[in-house]
Amino acid sequence: MEIFSAFAVSLQAVWLESGFASFTIGNLMMILVGIFLLYMAIAKEYEPLLLTPIAFGCIMANFPATGFLEEPGVMQVINYGIKFEIFPPLIFLGVGAMTDFGPLLANPNTLFMGAAAQFGVFVALAGAMVLGFTAQEASAIGIIGGADGPTAIYMASKMAPNLLGAIAVAAYSYMSLVPLIQPPIMKLLTSKKEREVKMDQLRQVSHFEKMVFPVASAVLISLLLPPVAALISMLMLGNLFRESGVTERLSDTSQNALCNIVTIFLATGTGMTMNANDFLTIQTLEIIALGLVAFAGGTAAGVILGKIMCRLSGWKINPLIGSAGVSAVPMAARVSQVVGQKANPSNFLLMHAMGPNVAGVIGTAVAAGTMLAMIGPR
Amino acid sequence: MDNTVTNPIVIMLINMSIVFGVLFILNIFIRFIHFIDPTKVRKKAVPERAAAPARAAVQTASAPVVASGISGETVAAIAGALAAYGVGFSQIKAIRPAERNSWAGAARINGLRNKR
Repeated sequence: MEIFSAFAVSLQAVWLESGFASFTIGNLMMILVGIFLLYMAIAKEYEPLLLTPIAFGCIMANFPATGFLEEPGVMQVINYGIKFEIFPPLIFLGVGAMTDFGPLLANPNTLFMGAAAQFGVFVALAGAMVLGFTAQEASAIGIIGGADGPTAIYMASKMAPNLLGAIAVAAYSYMSLVPLIQPPIMKLLTSKKEREVKMDQLRQVSHFEKMVFPVASAVLISLLLPPVAALISMLMLGNLFRESGVTERLSDTSQNALCNIVTIFLATGTGMTMNANDFLTIQTLEIIALGLVAFAGGTAAGVILGKIMCRLSGWKINPLIGSAGVSAVPMAARVSQVVGQKANPSNFLLMHAMGPNVAGVIGTAVAAGTMLAMIGPR
Repeated sequence: MDNTVTNPIVIMLINMSIVFGVLFILNIFIRFIHFIDPTKVRKKAVPERAAAPARAAVQTASAPVVASGISGETVAAIAGALAAYGVGFSQIKAIRPAERNSWAGAARINGLRNKR
């Protein structure tokens, strides 16, 4: 009998130590959310490189009693990388190394489209404040409209760490839905004649311009907005690696190996912020709704400025490229290309749309820096 | 005294103005970089020098200017293809690789895919 009693006690101890004992309905729901996100990433191919680790992180975050974030280990290191804003600047290094600023340098007026598309950020900010979020939380929510994942995470970890999971998921989800969200807004706001406008070939940009621009803009923006110096400097350093012609190995590492490694950490860590206690709230639904408002507002503002520039330039600018100002490089530019080509099969807008697209990355970082300077934590 | 702005409309207006202001300065900066670009002048000179042999080729109407690295077989294949469309060999001015940048190439490939 004693053997059975000892066996029962041991079994009970194992049960009480296991995750099952403290497993909640909330954990189950979040694991199902993670599985759904995995399905979207793998079966539907919505941003699979980001959504797969986010989804798996979400599943891991809902294993009870693991001590992932309390005890030293790889999970805590990943959490520190997000908490202390280490990963977003490293991602920007890779983004810079992958980005061709040529279209922007050839047509610097497209910077205004990148600026106009930030309108969505501030509409969502105002909406969030009306809904009762604090100014800091609202600014982190608004940046979803910038369609720039690393900047959204950067802002959320500084301004509203409690909302990081919801903001990151909303930002990346909407980024993957760009081809579905943007075209109806673009078509609604433009006439067929405007969509058919063919743009002239861009001028060749010299090596000198491509070399000077990253250095000069890093100095200028970092002096103007020190809170985003880390993001902008790393973006421009990556671009310098790409354009210098003498740092191919560094450019290659930034674009591929380093960017992939940091993406794994950043996305998994983001997913791990999605535990049931923090995520299953009414605020999450509000953030997802506000993110959509931000995205639609940014797209609309970019297109409207595109229409104005179209008239001012004497029908030389296709307004569709304005929608690419919401960042989401290069997907938003591809959407401009696809919608423009449907209106006029001989239209090639991709290169032109890359101007506002990369301007949007800079614009979102500037918007983030401005909000950090104005209402950021002291 | 706490000067933190809490009115959402004011925050929105100030931020939008700053974003436009910074990107306007960047716009001016890009134009300035283009203005001071010392390589611009040299670039203009190069095509003129390159154009000289091309003109000579037209005057003699003997053979097209073929860029280095293009084999005789390639020249023959291009000439054959053009001949099929009624273009004589003497009408070909030059054969050189197309100077397309990667974005333009990507756009063309994308266009072809969308047409399928």
